[in-house]
Amino acid sequence: MFVLSFLLRRLLQGSLIILLVTFIIFTLLRVVPGDPARLIVGGMAPDEVVAMKAKELGLDRPIPVQFVSYLGTLATGDLGTSFVRPKSGASLGGAAFDDQTREERAKVLDLILATLPMTLQLAMVALVIALLVAVPLGTAGGLYPGRWPDKLALALGSLCVSTPNFWLGIVLTLFLSVKLKFLPAIGYRGFSYTILPAIVLAVEIVPFILRTLTVSVAQVMREEFIQLAPIRGLSRSRTIFSHALGNSAIPLINLLGVQLGMLLGGVLVIEFIFDYPGLGLLTINAVLQRDFPLIQGIAIFISVMFVAINILVDLIAMTIDPRLEY
Amino acid sequence: MTDIVRENAVPPAAAKRGATPTQRMLQIAFARSDFRIGLIGFGLLVGLAIFLPLVSSIDPVKIAYSSKLLPPFPAEGWKWPYLLGTDQLGRDVLMRCLVGLRYSLLIGVTTVVLMFIVGCSLGLYAGFRGGWADAVIMRLTDAQLSIPMIILAITILGVSRPTVPAIILVLGLSGWPLYARVARSVALGERNRGYVLGERVLGASDLRIMLLFVAPVVLPPIAFVAVLDIARMMIFESILGFLGLGVQPPTPTFGNVIADARKYLLNAWWIATMPGLFMLVSLTCLNLMGSALERARNAVLRGEA
Repeated sequence: MFVLSFLLRRLLQGSLIILLVTFIIFTLLRVVPGDPARLIVGGMAPDEVVAMKAKELGLDRPIPVQFVSYLGTLATGDLGTSFVRPKSGASLGGAAFDDQTREERAKVLDLILATLPMTLQLAMVALVIALLVAVPLGTAGGLYPGRWPDKLALALGSLCVSTPNFWLGIVLTLFLSVKLKFLPAIGYRGFSYTILPAIVLAVEIVPFILRTLTVSVAQVMREEFIQLAPIRGLSRSRTIFSHALGNSAIPLINLLGVQLGMLLGGVLVIEFIFDYPGLGLLTINAVLQRDFPLIQGIAIFISVMFVAINILVDLIAMTIDPRLEY
Repeated sequence: MTDIVRENAVPPAAAKRGATPTQRMLQIAFARSDFRIGLIGFGLLVGLAIFLPLVSSIDPVKIAYSSKLLPPFPAEGWKWPYLLGTDQLGRDVLMRCLVGLRYSLLIGVTTVVLMFIVGCSLGLYAGFRGGWADAVIMRLTDAQLSIPMIILAITILGVSRPTVPAIILVLGLSGWPLYARVARSVALGERNRGYVLGERVLGASDLRIMLLFVAPVVLPPIAFVAVLDIARMMIFESILGFLGLGVQPPTPTFGNVIADARKYLLNAWWIATMPGLFMLVSLTCLNLMGSALERARNAVLRGEA
């Protein structure tokens, strides 16, 4: 019952947040300079064609009216249609208004769902790499505070967090891909194209895991139930693996919820550098092409994901430590 | 018993009577070698960035084809101009790095100050007043965690003209909730302390107590930890620059210099690599300082010093 009321409350809060995001991004895109109708029909179109398109899209109505009708279509699960992207994928923003070869525009939701698996794949590979590096080192650092594993963890963390991801991406491409022909880098033609971007993304994740884990392991090790474990006849490894690590994982899981926003930033830039066809590249191109429905759709979609992940994170933390209350 | 042990364990220098937590925190930090390395390194680089462009005759934006694409560390020995080589338009790479560091620092520091002021004021107020104000402010910080700020940021900068104040505002908007949370949790702890109740009895208003008595106690440790955030914001600034959404060329920033140099990567690796290394070194120094301060604060909070 408790879990149900928790879920209900969080879902309500989440819907409010999503409404807020929708409102902010909608207003933002309506008050900035640039006429979407002209963008769709092309720069050379006569004014009457532009006005007709604006009427057709309802862009001539007041913003609050537009917002309400947008919410109406949103409620049916329709995120709208891209301004510039046809169904085949190629961008046709500059084509003339009477060009017969212009296809029908792609659905925003289809574009998002087509690129999402690529981004998830990238994120998963990156997370695995980051955990493989950071969990052993972070745990060791927490077990021996002030000694060399701790110092190594601190140094590696400081170095990773200071590395600009776009620069690392470029330099790694030059050395590993162009000079050594070790890994492919630009575009996507198979799984191996994920590895290099994932390494760069992992470098961004590692310092957060290291910092949180070192602190939380050290903290758990100072607690009474761990200090008393030898008296109960438990070996040190048993104490660490079955009592300390699980408790140290809670801050790590919470961190995931808090750092999602930063991770998203990393994904955007990294996909852009490696021309990796995921959600991040789609977002940046949408912004650069002023594809308003697409930007709106992505922002709403991502805040839905954020809300869902944050609820999930709290649920997992509650399962690990039933004392926690939200 | 434990109290006696703890008191004896405190080194004499740190146990001076009347040392505030902030002073103790600084003492611990200064005793760490990573803090000192970071401080010296960062101080040197910032000093160079501030003063060298003032006294040098090299113009970081002046185009000089006669000296284009000179490699770094010339073989004929250490030559002062063009130490780190020149770019495709004959501009000195070192000087462009230094000017980039200036902009990066300007934006990073101002942004963090802005986030600190907004976040801490809201957090202090929420924690101190409690009730409705607290609920509203805390729900706002929750909401912000679920808003993809980075998309809002690049959208705002993408559709409007990215100027320095616009960049600072957009970045600052994304970071204040963390400060609000920390300030609130500390203010909650101070609310019922003796000195606050005493001031209340004397008839001081909430605002007066908060600004004159609570703020000086709780803010300095948060301020020192904000050093880490300056580094984070400097990276964000460079990312915006790289995407073409930061300070615009010809003004050199780390981001736009590296984005520009990408085309010349194969025959002139240094134009893109040097600014990145420069950033890496200065940010590592800054992060070493920041994490040493953070650890010192944690030690003080645990009562180990």
